[in-house]
Amino acid sequence: MDNPHHKTFEQELAASLSRGRSVAVTGFADRVVGAVRADRRRRVVIRWSSVATAAAACLVAVLTLSTPSEEALNRQTFALFAHDESAQFADLLGASADLSLLSPAVEKSSVAEVLNAPGS
Amino acid sequence: MSQEEPTLPDDEDDKRLMALVAEGDDDALRLLVHRHHARLVGYLRGEVGSQATAEELAMEVFIRLHRAASRWRPEAKLSTYLIHIAHNLVLNEWRRRGRKPTTALEFAAEPGDSTQQSARRVAELDEAFQRAIAQLPPEQRTAILLVVQQELPYEEIAEIMGVPVSSVKTWIHRARSRLRELLKDFYGNE
Repeated sequence: MDNPHHKTFEQELAASLSRGRSVAVTGFADRVVGAVRADRRRRVVIRWSSVATAAAACLVAVLTLSTPSEEALNRQTFALFAHDESAQFADLLGASADLSLLSPAVEKSSVAEVLNAPGS
Repeated sequence: MSQEEPTLPDDEDDKRLMALVAEGDDDALRLLVHRHHARLVGYLRGEVGSQATAEELAMEVFIRLHRAASRWRPEAKLSTYLIHIAHNLVLNEWRRRGRKPTTALEFAAEPGDSTQQSARRVAELDEAFQRAIAQLPPEQRTAILLVVQQELPYEEIAEIMGVPVSSVKTWIHRARSRLRELLKDFYGNE
């Protein structure tokens, strides 16, 4: 039953493949240890960068949450304004504030013309 | 490249060394690599058809082994685990390249061959086998390499490839038939 071709084929297949079974490479272990150390350093850097990124994100969140809202800022402004006596005094004087705002827009010559006009 | 065969790995020693590797012992890692790299590179060379790529992939296997050292449980032999990682890397490599290896390896004749003629015959046969093996479908190539080259039992091959033993047997049978067909010039039609 044995086919000589078949037997030879099986033997030569095994012989051919077994020649490449084990390929020892000089210095390979040292290269691997070097690569593993580099990989270890890289992972430490990556770990610390993620920690730093997370810490920065927390800091930003804390700063954002502790900053007063626009409404709170308005309330604070009004409260300060309520305690500002000079502002209250200006209110008593009526439109003095408006005048002081308008004054730069009024030319001195036109005021003089109005005052010097006959019948004024 | 030296052809000396490192001493055969001992499972208990592998477990002890892996525990040390998990603690960051580089000398233990060096010893593990020295024990296992030759067969790993041999297997990978058969798979990818290139010494340089085989060495790169073997390097990656050991880097992954180191990363997984603390989680590794000695349920299987370390050599099986290493070839399992290597097999996955080979699959990724083929996906990345979008093709299978098609080039045959250049095999130097053994220096101990008796005559030049027999050396030439050996070189020719090796080249023909490599070329034929490179033409096999990936799963058939892996199965035939693991059974004939690495002399692993079917159960271990099934574990490495993550398939039932019956699939391994089928692939090996098909691989043998296909190889005989591809090498009919050498062996004639049967």
